[in-house]
Amino acid sequence: MADEVAVTVTINGETVTDRVPARMHAADFLRHRLGLTGTHVGCEQGVCGMCTVLVNGEAVKSCLMFAAQLDGCAVETVESLATGDQLNPLQQAFKDEHGLQCGFCTPGFLMTATALARRGQRLCAAEIREEIAGVLCRCTGYDGIVKAIARHLDETAV
Amino acid sequence: MTETLERRPTVGEERGGQERTSLIGTSAARKEDDRLLRGDGRFTDDVDPLHVLEMAVGRSPYPHARIVSIDVSAALEFEGVRQILVGADVRRMSAPLTVLRPVPGAPKLPYYALAQDVVRYEGEPVVSVVATSRAIAEDALELIDIEYEPIPHVSDVIDAQDPEAPQIHPDLVEGNLMVVNPEGTGDPEARIRSADVVVSGRFRINRVTGLPMETRAIVAEWRPGARELTVHSSTQVPHLVRKQLAEVLGLAESDIRAVASDLGGAYGLKLGIYPEDVLACLHAMALRRPVKWVEDRMEFFRATTHAREATHDYRIAARSDGRIVAITNTYATDMGGWNSGFGSAQLSSVVFTGPYKVSDGYVERRVVLTNKTPIGAYRGYGQPEVNFACERLIDQLARKLGLDPLDVRAANMLRPEDLPWRNPAGAVYDSGDYERCLRMAAEAIGYDAHRAAGRGPRADGRYVGIGLSSFVERTGYASARFLANRGSQYGAHESVTLRANRSGGIDLYTGVSTMGQSSETAFAQIVADVFGCDYDAVKVHAGDTAASPLNTGAFASRTLIAASGALKEASEKLRDKTLRLAAYCLEAPAEDVEIAGAVVRRRDTGASVTLAEVFSRAITGQGIPPEEEPGLESTSHFEPTDAAYSFGTAAALVSVDPETGDFDVERFVMVHDCGVAVNPKIVEGQVRGALVQGLGAALGEELRYDAETGQLVNGTMMDYFAPAAPDVPPIELLHTEVPSPVTTFGVRGVGEVGTIPPAAAIANGICDALADFGVELHTMPLTPEVVWRALQEASR
Repeated sequence: MADEVAVTVTINGETVTDRVPARMHAADFLRHRLGLTGTHVGCEQGVCGMCTVLVNGEAVKSCLMFAAQLDGCAVETVESLATGDQLNPLQQAFKDEHGLQCGFCTPGFLMTATALARRGQRLCAAEIREEIAGVLCRCTGYDGIVKAIARHLDETAV
Repeated sequence: MTETLERRPTVGEERGGQERTSLIGTSAARKEDDRLLRGDGRFTDDVDPLHVLEMAVGRSPYPHARIVSIDVSAALEFEGVRQILVGADVRRMSAPLTVLRPVPGAPKLPYYALAQDVVRYEGEPVVSVVATSRAIAEDALELIDIEYEPIPHVSDVIDAQDPEAPQIHPDLVEGNLMVVNPEGTGDPEARIRSADVVVSGRFRINRVTGLPMETRAIVAEWRPGARELTVHSSTQVPHLVRKQLAEVLGLAESDIRAVASDLGGAYGLKLGIYPEDVLACLHAMALRRPVKWVEDRMEFFRATTHAREATHDYRIAARSDGRIVAITNTYATDMGGWNSGFGSAQLSSVVFTGPYKVSDGYVERRVVLTNKTPIGAYRGYGQPEVNFACERLIDQLARKLGLDPLDVRAANMLRPEDLPWRNPAGAVYDSGDYERCLRMAAEAIGYDAHRAAGRGPRADGRYVGIGLSSFVERTGYASARFLANRGSQYGAHESVTLRANRSGGIDLYTGVSTMGQSSETAFAQIVADVFGCDYDAVKVHAGDTAASPLNTGAFASRTLIAASGALKEASEKLRDKTLRLAAYCLEAPAEDVEIAGAVVRRRDTGASVTLAEVFSRAITGQGIPPEEEPGLESTSHFEPTDAAYSFGTAAALVSVDPETGDFDVERFVMVHDCGVAVNPKIVEGQVRGALVQGLGAALGEELRYDAETGQLVNGTMMDYFAPAAPDVPPIELLHTEVPSPVTTFGVRGVGEVGTIPPAAAIANGICDALADFGVELHTMPLTPEVVWRALQEASR
């Protein structure tokens, strides 16, 4: 239980070296070791998607990874999206479309949509709904989220 | 698709001074969004004080058992463990938890933060451990040896009323029946005896959870020398948490500061304290170290109050032309094993006759104990339950009389000129045009075309039906006196403090915590509108008892109803003084100056002074008229004259496969009136979000207990199916806007309404589709299996 593991991770462009308990999951590492509390934890069994971050560009549920598994990886969290006080276009789309209420799920959707947008494809609303099915929202009914992501995909499609 | 129709009232008169100004009624950008979008929200688990310890709670695996012994010796030896509490410790250190909304007329069921001799539901807290980490605390729980002696249990509300049923609180409650609350007027039984037709049914409402994405959480810190207990809590009611903790911990309220910053959803589940809140404080006070507890999702399904479960025996008597002459409803609500802070839902009685003009009515609420997780408040608080019974039975009545369900509704609805109307439960509906919403919903869903098309299967073999559900929703409370008569431990008012600052801005302090309802935005809109400054100049500081006036809190769709009055008054006071000080500065009479954005200017010359300058003068007292006091702030408390009743109609277009019972909600229309919308985009978000919760409860969500073992069988996120994005049917929203005469600005509550009509509308759609098969549904949730079984039953 006291076993610790050394990890070196690139988080939002910055290299971090730490020793972590072997059983610590990646979301707890991000939140409570690195202070990146924008990544949330909702179920710790990979269903709700609150803890979704990008690991080597892929959207993953960080409660299902050990911190130790991040060794050598590049991680992106919600804190990486805005520049200074400027929301990025995806964040702005969420704001314009009322894609959030309590905001607890929002980082999960933003990171899922960030990975989606990098594919450079437009998707119809039904396809977007399938793509974001791994993140739950209990406040909005998803309509604003889907609209925001659709708008962003339209803007970023190549 | 959102449309706001007819912005002028159709009934009643607008009160003076309510003319629409620039900000109220616009979809201003939300104050809350930037921090939440950037990961800068502050949820309770984001608070990590230095040297924090963590708590884990051991829970009963049995639904009903005597605790024979608890041996904590091995766990105490475990490295990293700091303290363990059992029931006897808690009894010595604290008082039983207090209830905010007692059941009227029922005996108290005092319960401590840890079980004493008997556990009464699976998941009841039995022991708490604090250690240097949550993982170590959970490891230590494994080392605690608890011997239980199981005793017979009962899970079902009807079974629990059997005289032979196991008794859950035998010393306090006889027959597991906490109380019978009757209400009514007229002589419904006589009307029923002489009626042309009577329909009745037993409707079972499923036990569900509101399932906020953020579970409950608390961080407690105690500085004994300062006598200061600081509690960060994910709560809708920080001032009530402070009150309850003072009562339970034996502290003065002045010793406690409760802070609720951002909440990851609440929906009624985070109203007042739970046992874990008391435990974290007891540990923190004993250890003089901060203690954190974050509910994990497995705990959540057992430890946070459940909702809704009820059985309604509903009866409608009518004339052969469809005119309703009497309604009765006797229903049993499940309380679970203890009386939680808000207990079981109380609004099924209040709106049991719906939007219909019925004078002879009787409703009886039977509050029943079972060996299950306690029931608490959840968005709707009884109104979705009774709507399912009432609206389902209206359709059965129509079918029995060979009338159209729409016509039966329209014929019985209260007309605008009937309002205000006191219904048989004593609720006074304020104003509205119910039939217009019904007609709009019918038109939007294509009702006439559907009826004209005739019966029979569609080309794909599916049968198509349309279901309607009309409702009246109570939002807010009638008065503090109404609450006092029911023993409720809070008022009907809301409050706000406004304080000018030297940057030219206004700080707004409120005890209303932020949980997604957008109160920061709506509050700032009203202040900027009434005061006359820029929206951006208003900064909202929410949810800290040390920085906000005493208030009630965010629940019962009541916040804006009450707060709008306080905001208006406080803004006017602040504005009037600002104008006087600015007039002095500009050497003009106060009536000749006006606030325009960031300055105050003379109307005649255009000469101006900045708000920052006026506010600085007020704060320093330098350069103000000699008769004025220094300082520039105002606090107002406001109680509306009555509750405001929102209303509307939902319509669902459903297709059904009669072979399998499979069905699709192909379209869902909601027409709704919440009076004047302060922010239409937020209103749409609230209605839509609550609708999806209502759809979830209608179509699949259910917390199931195994009757034999008393165990919750699907208490994990893997097994409880809240709607994900692909599960939501297409929803179309329409609004009307009849201002309420009982509130400032004519607002009504809007947060809960979407939960009310989905189940009845969809069930009615299914039954309409399957009318030729003789199917009538009485059970929630509605699943293909339920429909298939009903088809089998009907064919027998």
